[in-house]
Amino acid sequence: MIENARSINIAAGLILAIGMIYIIGPLYLTLSTASQSFEDMLRNGLAWYPGDQLLVNMGKIFTETRIPIQMFNSLIVASSNAFATCVLSLLSAYAIVYFRIRWAGVIFALILATIMLPLDIRVITTYQVASNIFSPLNAVLDVTGLNLLIASAFGAPVHLELSVLNTHFGLVAPLVAHGTGTFLFRQFFLTLPKDLFKAARMDGAGPIRFLFDILLPLSRASFAALFVLTFLSGWTQYLWPLVGASTPDMQTAVVGLARLVPDADGQVPDFPMIMAGAVLVSLVPLSMIALLQRYLVQGLVLSEK
Amino acid sequence: MTAIDSAIRAAAAQIELIGVTKAYDAKTVVIPPMDVVLRPGEFTVILGPSGCGKSTLLQMIAGLERVSGGKIILGGREVQDLEPKHRGCAMVFQNYALYPHMTVAENMAYSLKVAGVSKPDRALRVATVAKMLGLADYLERKPGQLSGGQRQRVAIGRAIIREPGVLLFDEPLSNLDAQLRHDMRIELADLHRRIGATSVFVTHDQVEAMTLADRILILNKGRVEQFDTPKVIYHHPASVFVAKFIGAPPMNILDVTGDGTALRLADGQAVARSTRTGRFQLGIRPEDVAAGPGGPITATIRYREDLGSHEIIEADLCGQQLRIATPFGAEIDASSTLSLSFPTVRLHLFDGETGMAIADAFEEPQAVRQSVKVHL
Repeated sequence: MIENARSINIAAGLILAIGMIYIIGPLYLTLSTASQSFEDMLRNGLAWYPGDQLLVNMGKIFTETRIPIQMFNSLIVASSNAFATCVLSLLSAYAIVYFRIRWAGVIFALILATIMLPLDIRVITTYQVASNIFSPLNAVLDVTGLNLLIASAFGAPVHLELSVLNTHFGLVAPLVAHGTGTFLFRQFFLTLPKDLFKAARMDGAGPIRFLFDILLPLSRASFAALFVLTFLSGWTQYLWPLVGASTPDMQTAVVGLARLVPDADGQVPDFPMIMAGAVLVSLVPLSMIALLQRYLVQGLVLSEK
Repeated sequence: MTAIDSAIRAAAAQIELIGVTKAYDAKTVVIPPMDVVLRPGEFTVILGPSGCGKSTLLQMIAGLERVSGGKIILGGREVQDLEPKHRGCAMVFQNYALYPHMTVAENMAYSLKVAGVSKPDRALRVATVAKMLGLADYLERKPGQLSGGQRQRVAIGRAIIREPGVLLFDEPLSNLDAQLRHDMRIELADLHRRIGATSVFVTHDQVEAMTLADRILILNKGRVEQFDTPKVIYHHPASVFVAKFIGAPPMNILDVTGDGTALRLADGQAVARSTRTGRFQLGIRPEDVAAGPGGPITATIRYREDLGSHEIIEADLCGQQLRIATPFGAEIDASSTLSLSFPTVRLHLFDGETGMAIADAFEEPQAVRQSVKVHL
């Protein structure tokens, strides 16, 4: 405490209390609504008191909605996003820090640019590419005039087409292209002694062995932290899964929750059931944080133990 | 020789550098072509100021830096294009570079593990090396739980466990405090005697060089200034650079002109008899300057440092700085001016242009030189 005046204590306590209500209020409403029956809600409006229908509402999620399969989709998207991001980031940071690469600085700047140009901005072009992953290649062939040549030789220009929309791969791949992890690993590698790589070479370990025997064990905490963070961001992604998946069986849980609100006007949504679904959907990331929070802190401190 | 001694004993390899050169591009030549032979079992110290290319040279021998030209021959094999692991070298790094997540035992055994040595054999070798280095009680600790000296010992253990023919040290003592550095120096000398590998030790510390080396290789801007035993380097420096680099305080270097009868300072004072003519640089070590009444040379005292055992007097000799170390116990009670003489046998003469030493500059009777050598 810098100041120890009573009035300041009271004021600080008040501000804290307001902040708590601001954060916990909606959570409480979610839980209390989830435990009311649809009829109660229709009669009384906002549910200020908890009821006894929580399990019933959760049961409805399992029997009447596609949330379970969508949670499974979310799990696949979030965990493969997290895993692929970790592996790619580790490898790219390894290359940037430990190998003499021409234009390494430029490459690193380009990777960092993905942080400044998030998927939400690039969503239209991303959609175009996802609907035909060969479209960039086709464009290059068109622009360079190679296609004219091919057309004159073979009678038709090359036009390749493969859509990854509405597949798990299509949902995950655009999310993986993100530079935060590379940055995190790079900063961590820079804190390690420079001669470690040379020492390993003298001991006879090649680049691959160095990566697996020395770098990977040392970056375990960073790896775990990045895994948790990307898993959470993958789980809560909304915009890209919304446009990238078109059938309910391919949509993720967060999108599925939003879709539980009926499209037609005048219909009252089954808020208790939706809130029960929201609680269910939040359980996975919550338990993830509970299990791995130790690594989260360690890994973000960015230092060698 | 005990059982432990014989267990870790390397077949020392000769190191031959033939026209070895390192250049990053046409303009930045770190090491111009160099020819050097380091004899098997020899302890060579590469000494030079920072940025002289000594670490680069060491890393080229190790295989961590590519050579831009020339050949490196280790134990009769041409190795300049081989990976470090195929060269039979081991290296001790300045900041230890231990693997932080491995125990002491795992650190030392890692190279054996990579080489595919079986687990029982590894344990045996680790035990032998640990006993030799006094690390037996720390085998299960992580490097983070060790003191600086212990870490350095682990780093040395990691290097010698493969019984390399060549041991390379990259300023291994510069991270330690003064006392520990002294102890490790003695340990290293002892270790070298027992293992017998050809050792190359890079440092900028002349005390380490003088005490450890069989021969010292002095580098200046990538060029070999002198490569000889510590004694020869101290008593017969090949150039002004070497003369100034070795010895604390360093050798006095005075600009003098020879007029056919004597070497004179700018004000005409004669400091030595010589028939040579032209511009020279005259060197004399602070401890060789004889101070006392009756000396032919006069200098003005600027500053006195009493170190207890002896005194360092900083004087002005015709505008040039002159340091004088008084002999043990001698009292010099001059306050402002000092009479000096330069014993001719202790003088070094260097070319005024190139700074290279002029051999037999002062034609002394052979007998005098001999007698000097005897009591050195």
